[in-house]
Amino acid sequence: MKTNENSRRDFLATTLIAGAALAGCGTKSPFTPEEVAEIIPSGEMVKLLSVDGEIIEVDKAFLKPVPEMPSITNEEARIGIQGKKFAMVIDLSRCKNLKKCQSACNHMHHVHPGQNWIKLNAMQEADKTAPYWQPTTCMHCDEPPCVKVCPVDATFKRKDGIVLIDSDRCVGCRFCMAACPYSTRVFNWEEPKLEKEIADQPYNCETSVPQKKGTVGKCDFCPDMVRQGNLPHCVSACPNGVFFFGDILEDSVTNGAETFRFSDLIKDKAGYRLMEDLGTKPSVYYLPPVNRNFPFEKEASEGKA
Amino acid sequence: MKPLLKQTNMKKYKLFQLLFIVIIGLVPNLLMAQDAVEKPSLKLSLKYFNDNNKTHHLEVQAKSKIDGKFQMIANVPVQFYIGSDPDKSNLIGKGITNPKGIATVIIPATAKEQWQSTANQNFVVVSAPTKVYEETKGELAITKAKIQIDTAEGRIINAKLMSLVDTTWTPIAGVDVIVGVKRLGGILNVNETPTYSTDTSGAVMAEFKRDSLPGDNKGNLTLTASVIDNDVYGNLSVEMVVPWGKYYPFDSKFDERTLFARRGHSPLWLEILAYAIIVGVWAIIIHLLLQLRKTIKLGVE
Amino acid sequence: MEKIAEQKIIEDLLPQKFGKQGVIWVISLLAMCALGAYAYFRQLYYGLEVTNLRDYVSWGIYISNFVFFVAISLVGSLITAVLRLSDVHWSTPLTRIAEIIAVSAIAFAGLIIIVDMGRPDRFYNLFTHGRLQSPIVWDVIVITTYLLISLLLLYFPLLPDLKIMIRYKDRNGKYLQKLYEFLGSFWKDKPEQFKITDKAINILSITIIPVAFAIHTVTSWLFATTYRPGWDSTNFGAYFISGAFLVGSGAVLIAMYVFRTHYKLEKYITNDHFDKMGKIVVLLALIYLYFNVNEFLVPAFKMKKSEEHHLMGLFTGEFAIAFWFAISTAMLIPILILIFKKGRTPKAAFVAGILVVVGSWFKRYLIVTPTLLHPFLPMSDVPENYKHYFPSWEEWAIAGGSLAGALLVITFFARIFPIIPIHETITETNEHEKV
Repeated sequence: MKTNENSRRDFLATTLIAGAALAGCGTKSPFTPEEVAEIIPSGEMVKLLSVDGEIIEVDKAFLKPVPEMPSITNEEARIGIQGKKFAMVIDLSRCKNLKKCQSACNHMHHVHPGQNWIKLNAMQEADKTAPYWQPTTCMHCDEPPCVKVCPVDATFKRKDGIVLIDSDRCVGCRFCMAACPYSTRVFNWEEPKLEKEIADQPYNCETSVPQKKGTVGKCDFCPDMVRQGNLPHCVSACPNGVFFFGDILEDSVTNGAETFRFSDLIKDKAGYRLMEDLGTKPSVYYLPPVNRNFPFEKEASEGKA
Repeated sequence: MKPLLKQTNMKKYKLFQLLFIVIIGLVPNLLMAQDAVEKPSLKLSLKYFNDNNKTHHLEVQAKSKIDGKFQMIANVPVQFYIGSDPDKSNLIGKGITNPKGIATVIIPATAKEQWQSTANQNFVVVSAPTKVYEETKGELAITKAKIQIDTAEGRIINAKLMSLVDTTWTPIAGVDVIVGVKRLGGILNVNETPTYSTDTSGAVMAEFKRDSLPGDNKGNLTLTASVIDNDVYGNLSVEMVVPWGKYYPFDSKFDERTLFARRGHSPLWLEILAYAIIVGVWAIIIHLLLQLRKTIKLGVE
Repeated sequence: MEKIAEQKIIEDLLPQKFGKQGVIWVISLLAMCALGAYAYFRQLYYGLEVTNLRDYVSWGIYISNFVFFVAISLVGSLITAVLRLSDVHWSTPLTRIAEIIAVSAIAFAGLIIIVDMGRPDRFYNLFTHGRLQSPIVWDVIVITTYLLISLLLLYFPLLPDLKIMIRYKDRNGKYLQKLYEFLGSFWKDKPEQFKITDKAINILSITIIPVAFAIHTVTSWLFATTYRPGWDSTNFGAYFISGAFLVGSGAVLIAMYVFRTHYKLEKYITNDHFDKMGKIVVLLALIYLYFNVNEFLVPAFKMKKSEEHHLMGLFTGEFAIAFWFAISTAMLIPILILIFKKGRTPKAAFVAGILVVVGSWFKRYLIVTPTLLHPFLPMSDVPENYKHYFPSWEEWAIAGGSLAGALLVITFFARIFPIIPIHETITETNEHEKV
């Protein structure tokens, strides 16, 4: 287990460089045959010469003409990314209901038209209280009620805090949908409408693509993106920086542009979680809609959307 | 060794390769068919990255104005050239833009001669004509620079920025440098100040004030100093590992017996209760079935 | 004298061929089943898209029908076990009716839960990957157990009757004769055999009560283990069980009347039986009413915000008509009918039984659906039709088909086996005369 952890850590680190370096290299390797001869394989890493004449290490997988993510086995996907514990912070004072998070999420996960994994709720607790926009993702609860009731381990809580669904296992009983107080889960009522290339992709719980008829789907915190060192799609899609994502074990969250120490941010802005009284212990925190960047304009924002 | 993060999306690449082949196959026909139609314009913005003074890479982002807004264009085939002439001999790599409109290439060792010939380097990126967009060119001129990082007594971080003037490394003053701790997806400031401007000796100094910030399992933190999107020098970054963090053991409930654990990890009270009931009831059922067999035997004799 | 009486009993109670009415009845049930099967084929082909279930109302009449079936199956334990253990003998002619209702209802409960699954092809996952923490797994275990116990409880008392039927070879026809011989040729009326089966029936009667409680309590936990308003109730197990005994007894009243009039069994299912069953139904309706008061009055008194929309929807809102219809037909009107001696005559009791069963079916629907339309967070970013629910024709056809199927099982059972235990009736008549 120990070595596994180390190699994964290394892998993550090297993914960054190699991902950055070779991600877009199209159909042909930029390296001519004589250079390829200089490549000395060393485990997952290969050494090659940089333009300064220095030896650099690049992940072997990324020297292929088309970079591929190493496939994650179902067993690995059920344990999660070692040494991480993910959390999200949603700053309600910045949300303007632009729904960029939603459209990016739907696009990248090929969510069925009409359904959404991220929902934007127009909230108003009482007549005289202020209305605000509240985006909801899956809360990735630490004591998830959906996982409690799943009869077949199709939805599971990982060590890194993510709650995932294995669409190859799900029997479609929809008990998890009834159990989830945040109404975050959606069901594939019919055969998902996917382009052939997407539908033919090998399924992986971490990508949640392609979705399968008769099974449940939901926000997955984009573990495939996180494995590559990238942020979930909703985080990078939001122009107002509403979503912060991070590893709680690093005590930091980022929206890409700004990075905060998680504990300070929650303390300074009085962060809270939804429906704390239910004891679900969500991994998603909210910052109250105070000192707002935008007024709450229902018609205007809906018109745009 | 570890450059800034790039937004890439691996899982899509297979598809894009396929699409690329399809598009390439269609290009000649489409070119003829669409000659009369004016194509929308594509904008290619090229960026240079120096990662840890070792790896140098280029990144291009393809954008186009659609409905009055710039949108990222995926699946655009691009070719990178060193120098200002997009000639075959200057080709350093090819790519296809990902869903975020981005394609990247490492400046390979084959370009060594040209790379080392000058302190000011030009790059050109050319997109191949597609169904929608015409051939487009993007250019970039940078001055070679490097950034160094070091620490001093009292948790002080020193970074120094230098550029190549002819053949000598000269300090640069007045450039914004970000000093921070590398975290998942971003850089956390080491104190209240996010950016520092270099002094005449090209140096910045930052005091590390993040008390008991979680590090890795040895308490190590990765410090980073970087210049981002500088008009002259591009993107530079450097990293250094220091033992300034604190190790917090991760107390996971993953292996505990809970109601939300996986199969075989249910709480003991539940297992005992459930199996006791199941065994009890089924023992009775089996007993009754044996009784039934007894009656059958009695009748058959 | 005694001998003739016995012969008469046997002739009266032996199963009879379908008459004209019977044939029409069977054909119409088969037609409903066929329509249900066609609808289910469509559902398998197109997915649950053919239903009007959507992300918010993800459980609909399939699940309420499932709860209804589980509820009605509880009557097997009530009539057979509870009354037997309390040494009540008048219920003997009703035991087999109750048991076959139980067996067929529980079997169709199992089927309808498979119908509700998005991936019935993966049903085996429940065994290969079953999680002990999930109430669904508990449900699968207890339903299987209950089905087996009910079958045994149906089979043991049938053995002496099988011996009697085997005697009527000419009447039976070739296939039925083979079936009877297969099932009961070993039964020789030996005292040792009686000793074993009497004991076995007693053990079964004791065992079936906790198992019956378990099936319906666990079924109620499918709802009560969630946080949803209307389901999040500690009252739910008792509430479900009391309702189950009521609907089961209502079904027995209907079956009693139908068998009595159709097979001319007035001597065996007497007015006295209707009188006594009627009293039991009144008692059970009152108990169920009591639990309903608990279930609705207590949260209504507090009117927590999360419960408010749900409760007001039932009391005065969009579900008010269905709600008050269910409360009055399942409880209030049957109580008013059956509380009077005149109301406990066969015909009136039959009507009351129908009201109980129909009202109870709607009651199950109202337990499942309105709650799902009142989630904690607002219903956002979904198509308009996700915010309402009315079953599609496929759902009605499948639910109707399953009800027809259950009735068909009962009908065929009554065609093949004596619906009133012959041997026990003879024994009890003899004992009665001796005294």
